[in-house]
Amino acid sequence: MDRTLRARLEKRFADKVSGPVRQRHDTTELRIGAADLTEVMTALHDEPDLEFVLLADLAGVDTGDHMQVVYHLWSAKTPDWLRVIADGLPRDNPRIATLTGLWPGAEWMERETYDMFGIIFEGNRDLRRIYMPPDYTSFPLRKDFYLPDDAARSPGGGVRHMERTHVPTQATERVIRRTVKA
Amino acid sequence: MTTFTDPIGQHASEDDPRVMLDNQIGAFEAVPPYPPRTEREAEFYSLRDGEMFINMGPQHPSTHGVLRVVLKINGEQVVDLDPVLGYLHRGVEKLCENSDYHHIISQVDPLEYVSSLFMEWAPVMAFEKLLDVEVPRRAEFIRVLTGELLRVSSHALYQGWMALDLGGLAPILYSFIERDEIVEMLAAITGQRMLFNYFRIGGVNGDLNHEFMSRLGDWMSRAAQQHEANIGLLNENEIFVRRMRGIGRVDKDTALRMVVTGPNLRASGVPYDVRRAHPYSIYPELEFDIPVRGTGPEGGDSLDRYLLRLDEVGQSLKIIDQCLHAMPDGPIMARLPRLLRPRPGRAWAAVEAPRGLYGTYAISDGTDQPFRMKIHDPSFVNLQLVGLVMKGNLMADTMAVMASLDPVMGGIDK
Repeated sequence: MDRTLRARLEKRFADKVSGPVRQRHDTTELRIGAADLTEVMTALHDEPDLEFVLLADLAGVDTGDHMQVVYHLWSAKTPDWLRVIADGLPRDNPRIATLTGLWPGAEWMERETYDMFGIIFEGNRDLRRIYMPPDYTSFPLRKDFYLPDDAARSPGGGVRHMERTHVPTQATERVIRRTVKA
Repeated sequence: MTTFTDPIGQHASEDDPRVMLDNQIGAFEAVPPYPPRTEREAEFYSLRDGEMFINMGPQHPSTHGVLRVVLKINGEQVVDLDPVLGYLHRGVEKLCENSDYHHIISQVDPLEYVSSLFMEWAPVMAFEKLLDVEVPRRAEFIRVLTGELLRVSSHALYQGWMALDLGGLAPILYSFIERDEIVEMLAAITGQRMLFNYFRIGGVNGDLNHEFMSRLGDWMSRAAQQHEANIGLLNENEIFVRRMRGIGRVDKDTALRMVVTGPNLRASGVPYDVRRAHPYSIYPELEFDIPVRGTGPEGGDSLDRYLLRLDEVGQSLKIIDQCLHAMPDGPIMARLPRLLRPRPGRAWAAVEAPRGLYGTYAISDGTDQPFRMKIHDPSFVNLQLVGLVMKGNLMADTMAVMASLDPVMGGIDK
């Protein structure tokens, strides 16, 4: 855990963070509002004492209550991974700015997140489905998308029910059984 | 005397029975039968004078799985290209979110089927972070040992594929000698030749046994020599070198901005290796170098990417040697309950797989299944480079560049 990084981040992004800067194992976590994303990421990428030049991962998360986009970054200036959580995207219309201006390579990762969650990355030049067929209508990794079989149900069972078969028209209905505080 | 008439000459028309026009919209028609969805798609699927589309794949013999690439060409020159993914998509992330923690190891195994131990490693590490488990030292040594063996085998196979995609048939046969040795060795401890299902949360599934050790000893006694021989196999082949040199150049800044990782990034002059940048397992204790090539202003080309992997094999052999000498005794599994219910939390773990940074982001909600599990596959982002570097190159070089990036479609399509 890099304590100095935490102090630096808390000082630099004092007006941007929407929660405490957390640290666990080798990861430092910065939580921001989706509207500040471009500004924060540009600062993280460009400023000489931060220099997070490598975008290791971009993940969408559906907490059941709202959506998040989670970024993992690497910098030579710190031994920690930096996790940036862009929080609070509404589930019915999740929109966030693209990062393809900073990392053109984020294009496909954003396409994947759009394909799986329906999160719209404003400014991505090629935001179309990447895995699923073009005439597909729903977003498989959302929590209201249930698998049609229960073959994968675990012995711990009964925690998350999957017997509800997914029908595209039901996708917009709020049928989520469980939400997580992520 | 009959005279020959050109069927596609000026007299040919749709009514002409001699001309067969394929007006059916096939499943793999280059131009999609629906209006463009994005600006980029509209731009790509509009032709200028002299340009045409050609479909490569998804059953092309050298697309390393089922990748389809729509090439827009002008004569022999590639103007633009559009990779179409998804032919192997199985929804592994969704499957993982609906399986319990132990089951996931077998779900992620077939992602990158040529180096599947690494596919187990990152999720297992992430779950260990969620559970705050400490892995026994012997298990860590075994993980590194088997992982590096598999890296050697994966790079050997890469060497063969590379030559195969350029039309050389012999090297793949030599690669398989190497790979077969290693895979048989691993089969002795894991019971599988390909999808090992060997790592466990908190350790590994079985201890090293006599058959593994004797095979490994045999192999190690000639591995360095074999490595030298493999280097000579292609490095002095003039056709091979000429087709690789100067093609698909990627400079340092572009590589970082395209979020390329692994050997492809190091071949562009960035010394980034997860094993050193974020040391995990026992890597901090081991001595090895990070080979870097293409440090010039122009960056690295396909040949650099090829040579860098050969350098890495040398380093892997060094690591295997150190592991064997320092292997401690002790348990190979941490004590854990059968049913794992980590406390709610988030964890990210990344390993250096043969193709780059392979990572897992897991969110636990306190049940026995991860609430969300994201898998980051290096081939997926690395493949974006072809679209960037192929513009203006010859069509025949598409495969050479793509093969030099070493994508595995199982991982790309997830």
